[in-house]
Amino acid sequence: MTRITMKERIVETDVLCIGGGIAGLMAATRAAEKGARVTVAEKADTRFSGSGATGNDHFLCYLPEIHGTDVEPIVNEFQLGQQGSLRNRSFIRTWLLRSEEIINLWDNWGIPMKFNGRYVFGGHAFPGNPMYHIHYAGKDQKRILTRKAVEKGVEIINRVACYELLTEEKRVTGAIGVNTRKDELVIFKANAVILSTGSAIRLYPASSTPAWMFNTRLSPTCVGDGRAMAYRAGAELVNMEIPVFRCGPAYFARAGKATWAGVLRDTAGKPVGPFVTEPSNKYGDPVVDAYQDIFLDYKKSGRGPVYMDCQGLSDEDYQQMLYWLENEGNVGLLDHLQEESIDPRDKPVEFRSYHYELFPRGGIYYDEDGATSLTGLFAAGDELFGGISGAAVFGWLAGEKAAHHARNSGSTLGAIDRICIDTLKQNIEAMRNRSVGPGWKEANICLQQIMYDHTGEIRSETLLNAGLAALKRLKKKSREGLIATNPHELNRCLEVLNLLDVGELILVAAEERKETRGKHIRSDYPFTNPQMSKLLMIFREDGQHKTEWRSIDHQ
Amino acid sequence: MPPVVNEETCIGCGECYDACQSDVFYGSENEEISIVSYPDECWHCNACVSVCPTESVKLRIPLPMMVLYQERTVRSRERSSRA
Repeated sequence: MTRITMKERIVETDVLCIGGGIAGLMAATRAAEKGARVTVAEKADTRFSGSGATGNDHFLCYLPEIHGTDVEPIVNEFQLGQQGSLRNRSFIRTWLLRSEEIINLWDNWGIPMKFNGRYVFGGHAFPGNPMYHIHYAGKDQKRILTRKAVEKGVEIINRVACYELLTEEKRVTGAIGVNTRKDELVIFKANAVILSTGSAIRLYPASSTPAWMFNTRLSPTCVGDGRAMAYRAGAELVNMEIPVFRCGPAYFARAGKATWAGVLRDTAGKPVGPFVTEPSNKYGDPVVDAYQDIFLDYKKSGRGPVYMDCQGLSDEDYQQMLYWLENEGNVGLLDHLQEESIDPRDKPVEFRSYHYELFPRGGIYYDEDGATSLTGLFAAGDELFGGISGAAVFGWLAGEKAAHHARNSGSTLGAIDRICIDTLKQNIEAMRNRSVGPGWKEANICLQQIMYDHTGEIRSETLLNAGLAALKRLKKKSREGLIATNPHELNRCLEVLNLLDVGELILVAAEERKETRGKHIRSDYPFTNPQMSKLLMIFREDGQHKTEWRSIDHQ
Repeated sequence: MPPVVNEETCIGCGECYDACQSDVFYGSENEEISIVSYPDECWHCNACVSVCPTESVKLRIPLPMMVLYQERTVRSRERSSRA
């Protein structure tokens, strides 16, 4: 058999955006507007990639014309809704204050942010409290944002995923990309790099169907590449130990729950929460925003399952709900409901928690300008929890600052780090040329088992230590033995190697946080310790994990 | 398993192959009927269905993802007895 070797090509640019989701495209467009030469490296196709691929329908915002001139009540409401708080008031205030500008931009670009000429608030809110999520029609958002980036002169390179940052001392100078369809490395040389690779999915078993790995709420191709790369390059990550899970229909995880307009009821039709008794697009049922364990608690107490019941919803409101679900990118679900003759007004849909999948809320620590702890490295979007609005706002701000940095850093594109490139190349060629060994899926499933059993819904020092030992064994076996029969499988292997690094950081950080906070539940420290209402930073120093506690007001 | 390509009507334009973020159509050739190489990596985002100019791509939702529901007859009876 002919030995497979990786070809190389070099791409030079001012600003490299790694990941062309909402944050990456917003960053790229803004950096280009500011005069930078910009390249987006995207593992799929920016028109349909990331968690916003075929739509979203909620946008977190502050609109002075609706909310009044004082932003503080909305800042308060936002902070109340945060679990395992990560962001200080200043960051949240900036987010909210810049959201109107982004809404106006998107509306002008062709993403309808109003419904029948006005803003419509809905979901993620409690009756009587301020509402700060508008519904918007996002089904074409990625196509529109891609068109806008191209109009501004951004170069988009699809089907190239980046797996390693290039550094020179403490400065980021580029990245190594791998073509997902042919045996080729793409070496990017850049003055500024923006990481926007999304969340870290596929670390844990899929949301509600452990045997069906890609049935996840957020994109299963967003696998923590940015977090892993940033960590290896020396950047600080934050609160990796605090997980999130979501709720939605059994078992179509992609759908989420906030767009459903019904009331959550028990089998006898009694509402399970205190907030709503009638269906509405305005609130849906916010009980799960406050009480995610309700599904498990009903099950344990012999009262399950719990149903999303849209009975009583008017035709007009029902059509509107379907419209928002369509714009959320849930046409697959709507077609399924139609094929199965499931009208949720007649047939209440079973809902559940997606508690297998505890993806990290924490991630790369970036400030209000998108800056990380490394010179020349910026991050945006779900590299640290933020959702659509966070991705759009902080992508925009990071693009502006990265362009400024690229222009004023005074650095010219330097020599590339051949050792780093050759090491990755050797590992890749070994995977491509081995004939016997585990494929990526074996390693991914094994990782998910280790993560769920040792740093899942229950954690303790003994579990975490055992998990860390198991993960290190898996990492060694994976590095030495994975096989990839084609470039597609090679990229899945590289994704899993990144997931292994991210998993290790979660295990280490979860051991360090000796308390229970949010869904970080330590059976050996079953209370929330006010002294630990802090950021837990994790970073690499001299080849070792280092952790450090910092005030949430740290900038 | 999703997606399913209608070989009678597919014109081999490659739109689905370009659109899929998971690259489930990996290995499809230009101007040939799209092949589904990695069906269990589908996220059910529907991008492939939405871009197909000849409506030749459909998602077949796998059984483990089947949406569950409560029969209305049961509900109605219980509701009316409560009332």
